[in-house]
Amino acid sequence: MSDTNESDCIPGPLAHPPERLETLLHIEQVSKEFPMNDGSTFVALKDFTLEIQNIKDKPQIVSLLGPSGAGKTTALRILAGLDRPTSGCVFITNGDGQSLRPVRVGDVGVVFQRYPLFEDLNVLHNLIDPAVRSGMNKDQAKEKALRYLDEFGLVKQGLSWPLQLSGGQRQRVAILQQLMLDRHFIILDEPFSGLDPVNILNVIKLISRIANEHTLNTFLIITHDVTSALIISDHVYLLGRERDAKGEPIPGSRVMKTYDMIAEGLAYHPDIEDLPRFAEIRKEIRLVEFPKL
Amino acid sequence: METSAKSSATLPANDSGYPLREMVRVYGAVGGFARSHVVIGWIVLFLLVWFFNPIKAMPYPSEVLGAFKRMWSAPGSSGLVYNVYVTLKLNIVGVLVSSVLSLLISYLAVIPLFQPFNKFIQWLRYIPIVGFNLVFLTLFTIGWPMKVAMLTTGMSFFLVTSMTSVIAGIPRMKYELARVLGYNDWHVFYSVVVRPTLPAMIDMIAQNAAMGWVMITAIETFNRTEGGIGSQIYAYTSTNQLAEVYAYLLIIGAIAVIEDGLLSLIKRVLFPYSTIAERA
Repeated sequence: MSDTNESDCIPGPLAHPPERLETLLHIEQVSKEFPMNDGSTFVALKDFTLEIQNIKDKPQIVSLLGPSGAGKTTALRILAGLDRPTSGCVFITNGDGQSLRPVRVGDVGVVFQRYPLFEDLNVLHNLIDPAVRSGMNKDQAKEKALRYLDEFGLVKQGLSWPLQLSGGQRQRVAILQQLMLDRHFIILDEPFSGLDPVNILNVIKLISRIANEHTLNTFLIITHDVTSALIISDHVYLLGRERDAKGEPIPGSRVMKTYDMIAEGLAYHPDIEDLPRFAEIRKEIRLVEFPKL
Repeated sequence: METSAKSSATLPANDSGYPLREMVRVYGAVGGFARSHVVIGWIVLFLLVWFFNPIKAMPYPSEVLGAFKRMWSAPGSSGLVYNVYVTLKLNIVGVLVSSVLSLLISYLAVIPLFQPFNKFIQWLRYIPIVGFNLVFLTLFTIGWPMKVAMLTTGMSFFLVTSMTSVIAGIPRMKYELARVLGYNDWHVFYSVVVRPTLPAMIDMIAQNAAMGWVMITAIETFNRTEGGIGSQIYAYTSTNQLAEVYAYLLIIGAIAVIEDGLLSLIKRVLFPYSTIAERA
């Protein structure tokens, strides 16, 4: 990832207030309950509502932040169409800039944690195969795959098997696999998990770089890493459970608070970590959602 | 065996620098040279026990060698070559037919409609194959087709069980990856279930081929009209010619090792990534 050009990665602050356009994704009061063996019900999500809007001339990078057990994975599965909510609905843009429709599996790209790939296909065919199955011409798919591999410093790994790749290389291939399908909406599940600070920064640069390739690109990052989420995102949605009078959590996570990093003047700022407001927000989140940190 | 040997060879171990000590350590760092000496040591030990064993239940190597010569020069259907050919042909046909049938039944288990049938086939492995003798006799009468049917059926009961467990072990994440990539049901089936499990299926077939040799001897004992190693072992055991029996057992062992090696070679050539997966 050292090949990443830093100037391409972290765009500077906006000269003017951003113009918000149409809604790209709308999550409407989604609840998800799981029946338990003892006959009871476990409420993972309760009235989970969220809206992501298109920002003119900018990609959207939003984070769904929460501690372990906050329902992030459940939310991911519902957003990706892999699970149905018990109630509520997820709508995604039709691409015409006006109407929304219920999300279906395959509408949203997902880069899963630990980056599963087709282990029996080499890197090049991990990119070509899904594209061809989605209807792309084989020659076009190959040309596009080779271009992506070149852009992301993976040409040498083109004929390698996924098991021969490092964690960072797997992550890039997994992201490219989604980009091959021309997806504008991609969910990244815990992309910073298990990485050292240097590699976290590399991943942040990588995501920013890919996001900036198309203004419609929307990355939803599912993470528990407060600092990284604040650095990379234009909006941070804090997922958690409300507490009763005794301080006990009420079943069912929801968006507890939204941090509009653009309105806060933090988004796209190259030295965001040095800003006092950044430290304040980070402290606030940690006190609310990660009290033991 | 090859898998475990490879994985143990690649496991990290702090080399103490003393080869003898490494030989008896858990995952000791033993190099190829030392490892080959360990194998030679075991072979020498086996031969010593065989040559100088005080128990007379086992014929001496010279007696087995003599048996080989007698069987080699025996005419027609009592000869070594004929009987090995008959049994080897049965084994190869049995492995091929049972592999195709079992793959079909196992892969179809991903479709709910076929799951009860798959479960039933797995349950049948508890039933001794001789329990079906009457059924096979009625359907095929004594002869080659009946032997193939018995062997194929017996092997398939076990092969379906092991193959189905391979399919059940596919992580859910793999299915979901294919789903989010927009794959339809058949693409998911091929890309997640069939294609990646083929190397493991070859391992299962290799294991089952070895089990087939145990069944073959029983089947050929029951159905002796065409000869074969099983019927020869039965005949030599009845006349207490143990040297001949052990000669045939050695032949079975040698064929099994060659079969194992061939299947392993096929796997390495057709699915090169599988060797990387084993090392990982």
